[in-house]
Amino acid sequence: MNAKASPAEIFSRFLPLTSLLLIIIVWQFAATGGYFGKSLPSPVAVVNQFVDMLAEPVGKTILGGHIWASMRRVLTAFAVAVLIGIPMGLLMGWNKKAEAIIKPIFEIFRPIPPIAWIPLAILWFGIEETPKVFICFIGAFIPAVMNAYTGIRFTDPLLLDAARSQGANLRQLFKEVAVPSALPAIFAGLQNGLSLCWMCVLAAEMVGAEEGVGYLILRGMDMSNPAMIITGMLIIGAVGALIAVGLRYVERWVCPWKREISM
Amino acid sequence: MEARNIDVKSEISCQHLYKSFPGMDGNVTEVLKDVNLSVAKNEFLVILGPGQCGKTTLLNIMAGLDSSDSGEILLNDVPVSGPNPNLGLVFQRMALMPWKTVMGNVSMGLKFRGVSKKEREEKARYFINLVGLSGFEKSYPYQLSGGMKQRVGIARAYCSDPEVLLMDEPFGALDAQTRYMMEEEILRIWEKAKRTVVFVTNNIEEAIYLGDRIVLLSRCPATVKAVYPIDLARPRQFTDSRFLEVRQKIADNTDLAL
Amino acid sequence: MATRIVAAPGKIRSKNNSLVWLSAASLVVFFIIWYGLVESGIISKALLSPPAEVLTTFISKFSNRAPDGATLGAHFKTSLTLALTGYITAVVVGAPLGLLMGWYKKVDSIVKPIFEVIRPIPPIAWIPLAILWFGIGLPAKAFIIWLSAFVPSVINSYAGIKLTEPVLINMSRTFGATNWETFLRVGVPSALAMVFTGLRLSLSSAWMTLVAAELLAATEGLGYMIQMGRTLARPDVIIVGMLTIGLTGAAMAFILERFEGKLAPWRRS
Repeated sequence: MNAKASPAEIFSRFLPLTSLLLIIIVWQFAATGGYFGKSLPSPVAVVNQFVDMLAEPVGKTILGGHIWASMRRVLTAFAVAVLIGIPMGLLMGWNKKAEAIIKPIFEIFRPIPPIAWIPLAILWFGIEETPKVFICFIGAFIPAVMNAYTGIRFTDPLLLDAARSQGANLRQLFKEVAVPSALPAIFAGLQNGLSLCWMCVLAAEMVGAEEGVGYLILRGMDMSNPAMIITGMLIIGAVGALIAVGLRYVERWVCPWKREISM
Repeated sequence: MEARNIDVKSEISCQHLYKSFPGMDGNVTEVLKDVNLSVAKNEFLVILGPGQCGKTTLLNIMAGLDSSDSGEILLNDVPVSGPNPNLGLVFQRMALMPWKTVMGNVSMGLKFRGVSKKEREEKARYFINLVGLSGFEKSYPYQLSGGMKQRVGIARAYCSDPEVLLMDEPFGALDAQTRYMMEEEILRIWEKAKRTVVFVTNNIEEAIYLGDRIVLLSRCPATVKAVYPIDLARPRQFTDSRFLEVRQKIADNTDLAL
Repeated sequence: MATRIVAAPGKIRSKNNSLVWLSAASLVVFFIIWYGLVESGIISKALLSPPAEVLTTFISKFSNRAPDGATLGAHFKTSLTLALTGYITAVVVGAPLGLLMGWYKKVDSIVKPIFEVIRPIPPIAWIPLAILWFGIGLPAKAFIIWLSAFVPSVINSYAGIKLTEPVLINMSRTFGATNWETFLRVGVPSALAMVFTGLRLSLSSAWMTLVAAELLAATEGLGYMIQMGRTLARPDVIIVGMLTIGLTGAAMAFILERFEGKLAPWRRS
């Protein structure tokens, strides 16, 4: 950015901020004007609600407790899904026999949205922690397998040739060429899986839970407290965005060779 | 490194190579037809041929990455049946591992062979230095220019200590300026660390500038059309009258498509 | 160890019959294990139905309203109508909006910040607010499904048009095209691939959100059907519902892919 900017440039630079501010102002007036009755809380009410929930428990625990409850489920499920899913996808992508055995069964399950597993999960595991973790597991597992699989399959044959000409054996081709070249695809799968996980935990908690962010917004609905719902939604969005950013940092750390690609 | 002298004994040779691929429409495309050639120890042999005439296939077969339908490759009188540490390959599209640093790329062959880290880095450093990339050991390929990438490719091929270097249009993806520079560079490197070189190109000037001998291939299916020994003293000049004479002679005999 | 790298790419793709047999065997073993687990009592029939029973239920559900109050066809029709209505209206608004956002900087800087706030919120999180606003009926579900398809269609069209080759834009300008013409003739066609990616993601997002919405608040639909299956402890009904949901999702994705091939024939998949 150059030092001297014309008023128009300054204006356009602040346009995004202006637009957000404008929305909040319109929202505030719309809410306090009473056009929507009680169903639209004002931004101020949302902020107050947020501050309240920091210290005052909703149900069993305060806001932090609900976030942690959901995070715990997501992280447990995600870890298990990654530990099983990635090796499985890699195996499928590398070994044709493994592919022939696993792929047809996998293809039956793949198109079923993880959320559609909720009733069966509840039937199998009751309404405690297990069904929620199970749903999240399905959410993360499918993209983890799929991306590891396609990542390996799209390994550049030229690079494999280069490594072979350098004397690599099969095991070395896998470890030194195929796996690293699949890493970006694997990370895309993890990113995808994590956001699905976050969505699944919400759905599972809304169907039946006593803590967690999904419980929080449903509780807001039961209490006819839209401020609580909106606070919950914003928290859900913020946490989701944060874990996505976190994973991107992990990726940059694991794959330092990847050039920055914006958006 | 010890200097090696040209030995009249042929080091690598192709004997009656045939190769064809099944085409899309069920037809069979014949790519190589009775290709015979032999390369002397420490000779710089250039294979010159028009685009799409099976040069890459020929080199891949020589490197043991692909197999011929019939005929064989002899390396020191032993048939080649797969990738061999005595055959180093330099690719047109560099084929560097994006996730490995310059050091990692150059030393990968030694790593595959289980050489200790200290030893392989020492050796790789020697060749990185030889190709003029000292200071870039920790860079990733995306941080390098095209010419630098191919220097890494050359150092990598050298680092496994092969007897024969096979180069598949190594400068084909470079801009003209860089290409001239790299042509000088490859000769400088080769003079310093002599190996048997088989260099494939579709560029007639490049062939005459570099080669001890030029093997001219025909259009598809490729077969050896003529062999030209180039007895011009190095460094050669593109504008030298004898250079142009040779150029004319070869050009009259080629199917190079323009 | 059989690996693909021994053969050069694309050269030898002979159909390997033994692999096809292996796949078939794998499926057979899968069903036998499923059958065995249930019939031997290792897994109670109250938790998992054997494959044959699922098939019977599937067939009988075409005409049988029990136990959840409607035939499979009725559930299917309810869900499909809702999903497609939400999806199509979302895409019709979302894709052009994304394209405009990506092309015109002013639109971008006004809309993007609001969008960035809404984007990370999963559509499912809107369910309570939607129910509070619109009640348990159709409008609430339509709203959520619309939103779930809207967000991906905007993002991908936006990203797609941002990636338009500057060379093509300059070419168009030198031929005297106005900005609007360049947008229509160069920007939009070159963004089409990403637009379609958006359409695909939107579709799967809409379908998934529909299931969630029907699980929580519905009186008919595939999501309602599996939820009832749970309440009535009928695993066969649940599994039939899940498979129908999966199949429908896959079929819709397939049709969309075909459609894409027709609309953008210069793209090879």
